[in-house]
Amino acid sequence: MIRPDGEPKAVRVLIIEDDREVSSYIRQGLTQAGWNVDIADDGKDGLLMATTESYDALIVDRMLPGVEGLTLIRTLRASDNETPALILSALGEVDDRVKGLQAGGDDYLVKPFAFSELLARLEALIRRARSVGSQNETTLSLADLEVDLLKREVRRSGQKIDLQPREFQLLEFLLRHAGQVVTRTMLLEGVWNYHFDPQTNVIDVHISRLRSKIDKDFEKPLLHTVRGAGYRLST
Amino acid sequence: MQLPAIFRTGVFQVTILYVVLFGVSVATLGWFIYRSTVGYLQEQTDEVIIAETNGLDEQFSQRGLRGLVEIIDERGVGTDEERFAYSLIDLSNDGSFRRLAGNLGGWPARADVVNEWIEFQVPGRRPDDDLIPVRALVLSIPQSIPQSRYRILVGREIRELEQINQRFIRALTLGLGLTMLLALAGGLALAFSAQRRVVELNRTTRRIIAGDMSQRVPVEGVQDEHAELARSVNAMLDQIESLMAGLRHVGDSIAHDLRGPLTRLRARLELLADEDAPSQEQAAECLAQADGVLATFNALLRIARIETGAYRRAFEIIDLGPIVTDVADLYQATADDKMVELRRRIIDNTLVFGDRELLAQALTNLLDNALKHTPAGGHIALEVQRKGDRLVIIVADSGPGIPPDARERVLQRFARLDESRSTPGSGLGLALVRAVADQHDAELKLTDNAPGLRVMLSLPANTAPEPDASG
Repeated sequence: MIRPDGEPKAVRVLIIEDDREVSSYIRQGLTQAGWNVDIADDGKDGLLMATTESYDALIVDRMLPGVEGLTLIRTLRASDNETPALILSALGEVDDRVKGLQAGGDDYLVKPFAFSELLARLEALIRRARSVGSQNETTLSLADLEVDLLKREVRRSGQKIDLQPREFQLLEFLLRHAGQVVTRTMLLEGVWNYHFDPQTNVIDVHISRLRSKIDKDFEKPLLHTVRGAGYRLST
Repeated sequence: MQLPAIFRTGVFQVTILYVVLFGVSVATLGWFIYRSTVGYLQEQTDEVIIAETNGLDEQFSQRGLRGLVEIIDERGVGTDEERFAYSLIDLSNDGSFRRLAGNLGGWPARADVVNEWIEFQVPGRRPDDDLIPVRALVLSIPQSIPQSRYRILVGREIRELEQINQRFIRALTLGLGLTMLLALAGGLALAFSAQRRVVELNRTTRRIIAGDMSQRVPVEGVQDEHAELARSVNAMLDQIESLMAGLRHVGDSIAHDLRGPLTRLRARLELLADEDAPSQEQAAECLAQADGVLATFNALLRIARIETGAYRRAFEIIDLGPIVTDVADLYQATADDKMVELRRRIIDNTLVFGDRELLAQALTNLLDNALKHTPAGGHIALEVQRKGDRLVIIVADSGPGIPPDARERVLQRFARLDESRSTPGSGLGLALVRAVADQHDAELKLTDNAPGLRVMLSLPANTAPEPDASG
């Protein structure tokens, strides 16, 4: 069961998608993860539900009957509704990440997608929304791992660890998503700022280097591989 | 019933408009000329008559009625055509009058007419002459008494004036008519010419719509905007034809090359379904197979989207240097693990017009390929150089290289060299690189690195070439 850290309240997600198969497929997966899921199959119903009920996250398809996906999000944002929204872009459209983010979306996923990718990103969104204010920290830590963002120093059990700049960025990203699954594409986006699927194990090599530096000589491994999905930094 | 097509052409309608405008202009000009010539002459005549009446008015005040009569009789004599026509009457209250002086036979005006201009005709000098037109002013005399019992009429012949008038009007009308007729004829001629070209264009496009994509619009004849239009339409048709071919190819590729993996996936799933106790491992294998198919599908889709120019809209000026550095950094760790040396050499001023993501992805594919084929202890050079007004990205490895005859084939989708069939990958890497190269107006060249493969991607630079010491 995957829950965001320390929150007893069950996660509520609204899927606004007119393709019944896709929405029930997503619902099934999310329900297995212990979340409560509602489905709206057109833009108007979706907008109504999103404004009248409170959700932890929205999954919004772009091509919707009734109100179009981006318009729906814009409307929500205009009425000060800041529910995190993950936009699904269907076949045949240009990667309009920028348009989606400008409209007020928080993340963007192109179909067809792997469910693990969707889940990882949703968790990241919800976590980010629930802990606003932690963005201005100067240190991040997990168990005996400490990262000083100002001095760019890493210590574990008091021991200083030398990291290359890119490895530092990688660790910072993993720490900010501690406890969550982080996919390879999320890492490529978050650390290198590229949005394509590398389709190679390039990221894996960087991860294993990082792991050898922060985990190898220590008792408890923190950096775990989640098969079929990505990685997770957790105790 | 509709007018024949020729009259409905835009050119003809413009011509009609122009004919009307021109006609109005000519008519206005004509009127001004008329006013300043014939009108002037008319005014002159009137002024002379008025001067004479003023003179007579003075005579009356100085010498009275008797003096006036004398003057009139004196002046009215003679056959000179320059003389005036006179008539002086004494008007009674009942409307009858008594003629006092003058060279006119009677009083050609009505009794109540006073202080007005009139025109009438008098018989010619000889019996069979035409009637002579006369213009005259009828006044009461003295003029200071508007309703005086004495009325005077002073006039002049205006035969010549009338003739000039008629001639003038006839000339103007004829000129105007001729102008408009000529304009109309010219317009029709132009319309015919324009219509012919449009008909030709229409015919060609209809043939194309009916399915003959090889048709093109003829571009001969006058090199005007019609020829330009024809050229543009042809360019568009070329584009459409290539896009259609691309789409067809994609459809074929997808069908052909995904069928295998999908069939295998189905087979595995079928086995799984038959099992009483399907294992976790079997399910995981199926999942991996499915992921493989999805990955191939995504890659195909990406290439197809790139080829249709969908990303071109978002092109902007970007810096190639950092992109190359990023990709090198990404692969540094992997290269180190494989004990392959990664040599970088990137110049300054590396601005190009394009898409950061696409170029990064293309470079990733190239570097990935290079790493796959370079044995331990080898090296890969990653460079950005300038050649004239182009920037060249070079990925050169020390691996086995590609034989010259295979270099073209390897850029196609799903083409794999026999040696590389054992290595993982979908065979789409270079196809994507080529698609990205096309969108960036870049030239992709594979040559021998002696030893190894040297891939060169040459893009138009976005700055003017500077004088370069190293050349």
